[in-house]
Amino acid sequence: MRIAVLLSAGLHPVSGAPVLPRLEAQAIRMAAGLGQSAEIVGLHAGPDAAALAEALGQGLPRIEHIAVAAGDDPVPALAARLAAITPDLILAGRRSQGGDESGLVPYALARALAIPLVSDVVAAALDAEGALRLDQSLGRGALRRVVVRGPVIVTCHPDAPAPLAYAYGRARRGRVETLAVAPAALPVSALAVEERPYRRRPKIVKGAPAGGSAAERLKAATGEGGAASSGRLLIEPDPEDAAREILAYLRQIGVLAPPAEPKT
Amino acid sequence: MTSFMPLTTVFPGLVWLMAALALVQGLRRAALWRVGAPASVAWLDGLAKLPRRYLVDVHHVVARDAYASRMHAVVAGGLLASSILTALAILPPLADFRPYWFLVALAFGVTAVGSLLVGARRYPVKQKRLSAGHFQILPFLLLAYAIGGTITALLLAFGAGGGVFGSVALALAAAGGLGLAYEVRHGPMRHAAAGALHLVAHPRPGRFEGRPDTALQPLDLNAPRLGSEMPADFTWNRLLSYDACVSCGRCEIACPAFAAGQPLNPKKLIQDLVAGLSPTEPAYAGNPYPGGRAAEGERGALARLIGPDARIHPDTLWSCTTCRACVEECPMMIEHVDAVVSLRRYETLERGALPEKAVVPVTELRQSGDPGGRPLASRTDFAAGLDLPRIADRETVDVLLWLGEGAYDLRYGRSLRALVRLLREAGVDFAVLGAEERDTGDLARRLGDEATFQALARENIATLAKYRFTRIVTADPHALHALRNEYPAFGGHYTVTHHTALLLELIRAGKLKPGRLPDLSVTYHDPCYLARYNGETEAPRAVLDAIGVTRSEMTRSGRRAMCCGGGGGAPVSDVPGERRIPDIRMAQAAETGAGIVAVACPSCTAMLEGVTDRKAEIRDVAELLLQAVEAGR
Repeated sequence: MRIAVLLSAGLHPVSGAPVLPRLEAQAIRMAAGLGQSAEIVGLHAGPDAAALAEALGQGLPRIEHIAVAAGDDPVPALAARLAAITPDLILAGRRSQGGDESGLVPYALARALAIPLVSDVVAAALDAEGALRLDQSLGRGALRRVVVRGPVIVTCHPDAPAPLAYAYGRARRGRVETLAVAPAALPVSALAVEERPYRRRPKIVKGAPAGGSAAERLKAATGEGGAASSGRLLIEPDPEDAAREILAYLRQIGVLAPPAEPKT
Repeated sequence: MTSFMPLTTVFPGLVWLMAALALVQGLRRAALWRVGAPASVAWLDGLAKLPRRYLVDVHHVVARDAYASRMHAVVAGGLLASSILTALAILPPLADFRPYWFLVALAFGVTAVGSLLVGARRYPVKQKRLSAGHFQILPFLLLAYAIGGTITALLLAFGAGGGVFGSVALALAAAGGLGLAYEVRHGPMRHAAAGALHLVAHPRPGRFEGRPDTALQPLDLNAPRLGSEMPADFTWNRLLSYDACVSCGRCEIACPAFAAGQPLNPKKLIQDLVAGLSPTEPAYAGNPYPGGRAAEGERGALARLIGPDARIHPDTLWSCTTCRACVEECPMMIEHVDAVVSLRRYETLERGALPEKAVVPVTELRQSGDPGGRPLASRTDFAAGLDLPRIADRETVDVLLWLGEGAYDLRYGRSLRALVRLLREAGVDFAVLGAEERDTGDLARRLGDEATFQALARENIATLAKYRFTRIVTADPHALHALRNEYPAFGGHYTVTHHTALLLELIRAGKLKPGRLPDLSVTYHDPCYLARYNGETEAPRAVLDAIGVTRSEMTRSGRRAMCCGGGGGAPVSDVPGERRIPDIRMAQAAETGAGIVAVACPSCTAMLEGVTDRKAEIRDVAELLLQAVEAGR
């Protein structure tokens, strides 16, 4: 199995130093977890390879650095290189971290290479037939299992296992190869990007009543006005009954599999 | 045999035979050390200083246990004297001089008394900290040699050599003596041979020169292998030093992790390094690692030492607080902490196998210069409302105040505010680096991440080179140790003073005029990195005495104080144990009945203040002094 991990030029959120974004470090761990036989390569397109040594230290044995002038779109070059090495799985972070990255490169690549993209993945495993079993985060702890076959782009969610420790010795052993790649001829994306300063906005609570008392609004915000309020109230129940109720509820909201199916 | 040769020849011959056997056994052992990495050793200097190192430095440690000291003086002195005197009797004039044999008999007699003292520690009940195994037969071997020797020498002195009685006595001496010589390879007597060589070729000769040679040795980051994976990665004189271990167990009594039931026993760790080197080493017979994990895994010079399936479990390695209590107590001058850090360096630098909870702080240290990933500019937030001058605004300054990681901590901010107010009160010309101060990298270095430490050290040294100051003052002994002792290897030479030493200076110069607080009962807890690593135990006590508090000492204090559990990355590694180290320390503080535990280190403050159900208050020395100064107005 061939895996490519896309590496961006992120910055540390506090110090502003060029660092490997945490999501990509998690992606490297995810790639390493897919078996010893996997051939993993990091891929970075950009003007310099300063922060790439860190990705080597996270366990990537080899990184291909495609020299792209500052300010140029890295997507055509990445698309050309990915088309040449045909990885079975392309891993990327799900958003940018402070640098020049847009967070849109995985999507642009999926379109350029015409392969599917599965976003926000927290766990990846290989099943017996060689298909990828991906657990996709739907937010608030809910997961959806996706089974895909063939080349796919997967973006990593922050809830994926934490990055492994950086090892200086691995960074020293790994190699960064700088390649000159002729960019693929891609239709110029008509993506209209507007830049404006970030403005924090209040979180909009779905279905929140505009009026009413503060207590009612709180009830609505915490979900007690909705599905939760229709729950059954048991007072000092038998432990067996309580356990049964909890199991039934967990099955109802999809955290546990229905009882009839065998456990995975 | 006596019929062929006179006893006056056979008896000295026996001692020469013992010496030859001991030499052979010693050389067989020494062959193993040759697998170690090369090390430069000042042989002539070491040999010349051996007697002093033994009689002064080793004795200083041994004498802490008065019984062991007397026992060793009698038995080792007797053994050496009787053996040398007997060996010299190979010269006919001495052999024929009967009063000489009285002298020999006297020496053997002393040895016999010493042997009984050795035996009394092990029979009928062995002292808990001692190892059994081959050590249990040592008193018998000694006694056989001593009694056999005494009788033989007395027979010769009375001119009654030969006969059945003489043969039996000689056979007894031979059994004991040859047994002792045989034990030089695997048994108890190895400590004598390896110990003497270790004193000559000690990897830290500075510790015998009266200065605290405690800085970790810098690692060459271009070396083919970083740190130690297997016994062969240690330098040969380190392998030799582990063989010097006499399994006395003083280290395990001192070890805070052992006391807390974490899976570390310094004696077993050293013995695992010994057994890891030699597959034929007899089984370990001392107290196990708490948790009782059996030794497993391959052995040999090229066998992996650390791993869940190897001789030393990673949890053992990460339990160490690097407090150096074991090193301080070791009569054989073994450097346990160096071994731990060397093994950690391999785990961290080559394998990235840091404990899970330590990954984030070390990553943040590397990426942002602070283990909490906090903005460097907010380090001075604790001083909101105080006038804290930045060194960047000053041409030159007398004191550069190094704030350290504690500045981010709300509790420790109180101590630093007290210190800043005292400096103001005394009119000290001081400034801070502000946002330019990065962590010293102490945490990374103790956890084996030498690369991050060196990067931080270079950045800090470059920052400090921009400014002109007379000295650095810090309230953090960990920062003090790094700046004073470890930065010189990277080109940063500074005069570094602990805040307690500066405060004492200011009191003595009359710049601070504290009132007296006789109502406070205080016990002072020595920080490891100040007391043991830097030998500074007096200044904080003198400050406390100057403010007239009622001061009592804990049983373990000064250079022999017990760790609070906050060093060496132990809080972030967080290896589970049966108890918590700070709880044990606070219980010791409670024994003194003092209402206040005075501290002088941000780690100690945090660890001791985190103890639940504590009866005593935790106050930094600076806080107490400020209270006294305010009372004196």
